[in-house]
Amino acid sequence: MTPLFAIARREFASFFRSSTGWVIIALYLLLSGFYVAFVTLKPNDPASMRAFFSVSRWLLLVVAPAISMKLLADEFRAGTIEPLAAAPVSEWAVVFGKYLGAFAFLLAMLAPTLLYVALLEHLANPDYGPILCGYLALLLTGALYLAVGTLASSLTQNQVVALLLTLFFFIGMEVIATQVAVMLGPPWDRPLFSLSLSRRVEDFARGVVDTSHLVFFTVLSAWFLILAVVRLESRRWR
Amino acid sequence: MKTILSLNNVHKHFGSIHAIRGLTLDVPSGQILGLLGPNGAGKTTSIRIITGVLPPSRGNASIEGLDTIDHSIQVRKKIGYLPESAPLYREMRVVDYLRYRAALYSLRGRVRTDAVNRAIDLCRLREARSRVIGELSKGYRQRVGLAAALLHDPPLLILDEPTSGLDPAQVAETRKLIRDLAGRRSMILVSHVLPEVEKTCDRIVILARGKIRADGTTHDLLAGASGSPRFLIEARAPDAQAFRGALVTVPDAQMVDIISEEPSGWRRALVSFSSGAADPRPLLAEVCARSNWPLRELRAETASLEELYIRLVERADGEEAAA
Repeated sequence: MTPLFAIARREFASFFRSSTGWVIIALYLLLSGFYVAFVTLKPNDPASMRAFFSVSRWLLLVVAPAISMKLLADEFRAGTIEPLAAAPVSEWAVVFGKYLGAFAFLLAMLAPTLLYVALLEHLANPDYGPILCGYLALLLTGALYLAVGTLASSLTQNQVVALLLTLFFFIGMEVIATQVAVMLGPPWDRPLFSLSLSRRVEDFARGVVDTSHLVFFTVLSAWFLILAVVRLESRRWR
Repeated sequence: MKTILSLNNVHKHFGSIHAIRGLTLDVPSGQILGLLGPNGAGKTTSIRIITGVLPPSRGNASIEGLDTIDHSIQVRKKIGYLPESAPLYREMRVVDYLRYRAALYSLRGRVRTDAVNRAIDLCRLREARSRVIGELSKGYRQRVGLAAALLHDPPLLILDEPTSGLDPAQVAETRKLIRDLAGRRSMILVSHVLPEVEKTCDRIVILARGKIRADGTTHDLLAGASGSPRFLIEARAPDAQAFRGALVTVPDAQMVDIISEEPSGWRRALVSFSSGAADPRPLLAEVCARSNWPLRELRAETASLEELYIRLVERADGEEAAA
């Protein structure tokens, strides 16, 4: 096993070795399940998961920073960063390994929601296009939230600070993309609108897979992970 | 002999704090070096520079000729490092943690299994191998950290305060373990516990205020530290005045201190002689015999490492205050 996958595996398993991982999964499934039970599964409504994806995106805004907050901050706090930094592992492997472990946990958290799809299939005849697009949107937004959370976690040894940094970053981004964009008007509004995650996710919910959205989420996630690598590498700069 | 570690005029600044000031040191292969110093002397910073965790602000550090920053990954493969207080993932089981650490050193398959089993045996962790690290005593956790540092069989082992915070039984156990590991590889033992370093190390470096204040074998350091030779003599003399008066007549005697007196007349004195004087013990004994004073003790008094250490640290503090 390469060091990167060893780090990813340890990180993934660590969520289940403490209560944190179980609590995050339980709360997410409870809240999203509640929404599915009372909003999605209404008699005579279309067999759509749109409401579930809509609420899940907002739940992820809190859940993903809670997943990522410990990735590096806890290593700094506990001092375990020191033996890790003294091991022959690059900062790339540390950051991407941890990110991969957190993303795998996100997948494990979303996996039980496939039961909702199975339930919908059992009760009606859903259109799978928007459902696949919805899951793709959840994964892309989750990936971006985790990337920003990884960077935030590399900046502090306090997990709560890391969580708040991530949360307020995305709230700030949404405020800029909506309120500030409207206030400033042309020519600033168009580039600022493009920062809105909600608008992009809405497109996915309608079943539209726009390449620009895919590029936006992928490039932005990679960019924040690179910043986290640079932050770790800076400890070794002369 | 091959040099495993070389520090060349290493400086480290943290903002306005000059933590390391021109550290130059060569450690030959196979040597057990004790790095002594008070808290804040720069020991841990030096170790972090050696392990490549921190870059030096000036100068360079190399392991087997490889710069610790320019060839960081190769250098880290050559070092086994137990940081102070052995930070570990407390939620992991011992064996899982060691497997994970072995994977970080790219050990795979059978090699990894063998490395983990060997480290478990070396550090006497067999009965704790399936236990959760957070539930272990501090002594056991220290051993897990040590086992992790040994997994890849590094040529240089660095132990930072390995007995810090342990109870006396755990200290004894850990010291025994370190002694067992010594001799198989080069080792740097960082400590402010003098007996630990004195008993284990071939060479001692005393660091204070970021500078090397003494460097040599225990014997060399003590010989250099003792200054003028001193002898302790205990005899039953009628009074202190007469005792001092007789002792001061011995050739080359410079100073006589009466350090204790008993009501029965037994008196102890410390007599200092000029450097290079011949062994004065026969003459001291003769003085007592001539006066018919029974002699109970006569021996050379050597300075302890502790005295030397305190003297060097105080001198460093004095220099700092003067600057």
